[in-house]
Amino acid sequence: MYEIRFHGRGGQGAVMAAQALAEAAVLEGYFAQAFPYFGAERRGAPVRAFARIDKEKIRVKSQVYEPDILVVLDESLLEIDPVGEGLKPSGKAVINTTKMPEEIDLGVEVECGTVDATGIALESIKAPIVNTAILGALARVFDVISLESILNAIMNRFGEKLGHQSGVMNAEAARIAYLRTKIGRCSARRQLAKTKVWLPAWYEIPPGNALPQHAIEGVLIGPGSMVQNYTGTWRTQTPHYTKDKCIRCLRCWFSCPEGCIERMEDDYERWDYRYCKGCGICAQVCPVNAIEMIRGVHEWQ
Amino acid sequence: MQEKEIRTIKDLSREEFLTKGHGACPGCGVAVAVKNIARVLGKNTIIYVPASCLIVFTALYPSSAFKWPFLYTAFENTGAVISGIKAALERRGKQGVTVVGMAGDGGTFDIGLQALSGAAERNDDVLYVCLDNEAYMNTGIQRSGATPFGAWTTTSPVGKKIQGKREFKKDLDAIVAAHGVPYMATLSIAHPNDFVRKVQKAKITNGFRFLHVLCPCVPGWRSEASKTVAIARLAVETGMWTLYEIDHGVEKLTYKPRELVPVKEYLQLQGRFRHMGEDDIEKLQNWICEKWRNQFYEEVPVPPCKLEKVKKELILDEDPLHGP
Repeated sequence: MYEIRFHGRGGQGAVMAAQALAEAAVLEGYFAQAFPYFGAERRGAPVRAFARIDKEKIRVKSQVYEPDILVVLDESLLEIDPVGEGLKPSGKAVINTTKMPEEIDLGVEVECGTVDATGIALESIKAPIVNTAILGALARVFDVISLESILNAIMNRFGEKLGHQSGVMNAEAARIAYLRTKIGRCSARRQLAKTKVWLPAWYEIPPGNALPQHAIEGVLIGPGSMVQNYTGTWRTQTPHYTKDKCIRCLRCWFSCPEGCIERMEDDYERWDYRYCKGCGICAQVCPVNAIEMIRGVHEWQ
Repeated sequence: MQEKEIRTIKDLSREEFLTKGHGACPGCGVAVAVKNIARVLGKNTIIYVPASCLIVFTALYPSSAFKWPFLYTAFENTGAVISGIKAALERRGKQGVTVVGMAGDGGTFDIGLQALSGAAERNDDVLYVCLDNEAYMNTGIQRSGATPFGAWTTTSPVGKKIQGKREFKKDLDAIVAAHGVPYMATLSIAHPNDFVRKVQKAKITNGFRFLHVLCPCVPGWRSEASKTVAIARLAVETGMWTLYEIDHGVEKLTYKPRELVPVKEYLQLQGRFRHMGEDDIEKLQNWICEKWRNQFYEEVPVPPCKLEKVKKELILDEDPLHGP
């Protein structure tokens, strides 16, 4: 049995990728299943999807904890999530990045294919939805499923849902990605830290379920504890603030959904880029264009 | 201690009660609304949230983005639970605590309507906030009583026979107003000074207060993240959303667009209306004019109802910063 785990961000299409892969496996005569991780995840938040492929009927229904194939749809996830966790040393990985496989550090040394799926997606489908491009790369690394089946599955799945033209464009993205994938071995320099989850036993839950405001083993719990989530890794564009132009109207401060704009004592602003999701509302509401959005993740003082 | 009255956004506290790091989508209108309501309400507040996006992105056990005591039970009983919290506080002799319930439009218009009606009828001393993003966004965009005419959702899909929702938006404000509540108001995140003034008023009024905020939703409305506030502003300018308050029976329009902008400009920014044909848009436009007439006993200037292309700059609120 082959177990595949997809790591992506909400909106990138990790779930669709898993489903298309399962469909491709069915076209090849395998049994397959595909399902997402059920959590409360929003657009831009790290998400997971899983697929299983086998010659026989699959009776396992759990999540994939020890994948044979790891697919990472967003490079920045390598820094915030232990994506390589549980990956078998005999496994393989596909990563969306502009780097060479040797520069990638997964924490496990495996055969690794890298592809600039974002670039290919922007080129062929004019949107940063990378799931189909990454499937093309997956066909190159994971030789059980042929590229033809993957292209057919993409045509079926996307053609049915979004129209024939969309299916053709997505299949083209997969074909280009198949050709451009670089194969190598990634390195294992980083330590894979176990993600800490506080799961209280019944006697640890405070009376009335009211959580106090404190830390347990370094993990904050209780009111205000979400400050430990650095949501700034979600952004693809960064606001740049020009203090000279600012007229201190506080409109950006009012309209920021994150609260990452800090209002100083003299009513000028400062950005806390650790939390900025790059939505661009601040630049939109600024009456004097003191804020402009710049592509990429930056930090300015 | 008498707190400073909040009249403009300059008077808002620098202290945040909805902290950073919550998991809302980029450009979330609900987050903007809740964050600013929190800044006005201040420290002495208890919040109750039923099943909605708000609980999912702010309070996943054991962490929470609110610096307030947070309660959560079931979907349909926001009005009942906040009444209960207030009763418990009164029994224990605690004064000066604002009890706020923040429900989505599903939890208010459809599922929570009976509990809301009960609390309003009993005139319990609580604040009820309806964060209206016009569908059940948390469970993946299903139609609710708040969804406007013609909008695409997963349960009002676009097909050959029926294109989008066929019913008009429920007038919840009229239902709440019919209970004779001491204070109720509609809010828009694009009119900050009006927003904070109304929340401040709701905070200091005694009895049942109801605030209704229009919160654009990026994935559900198929809009651009940066356009959230612009869409909220256009909703007011086109008459899809009316800004008014009813303070102890006195109805007051707090902001009136000098001339209604054709609704088409509002629809254009959102993917959920992309399929709408000319006749559907005209039907919606007529509904807006009709609503305006019924609400304010005032004839709408003719141009918007004829749906001609009016080249006119947006008329903005009284804020001097919004001048040309």
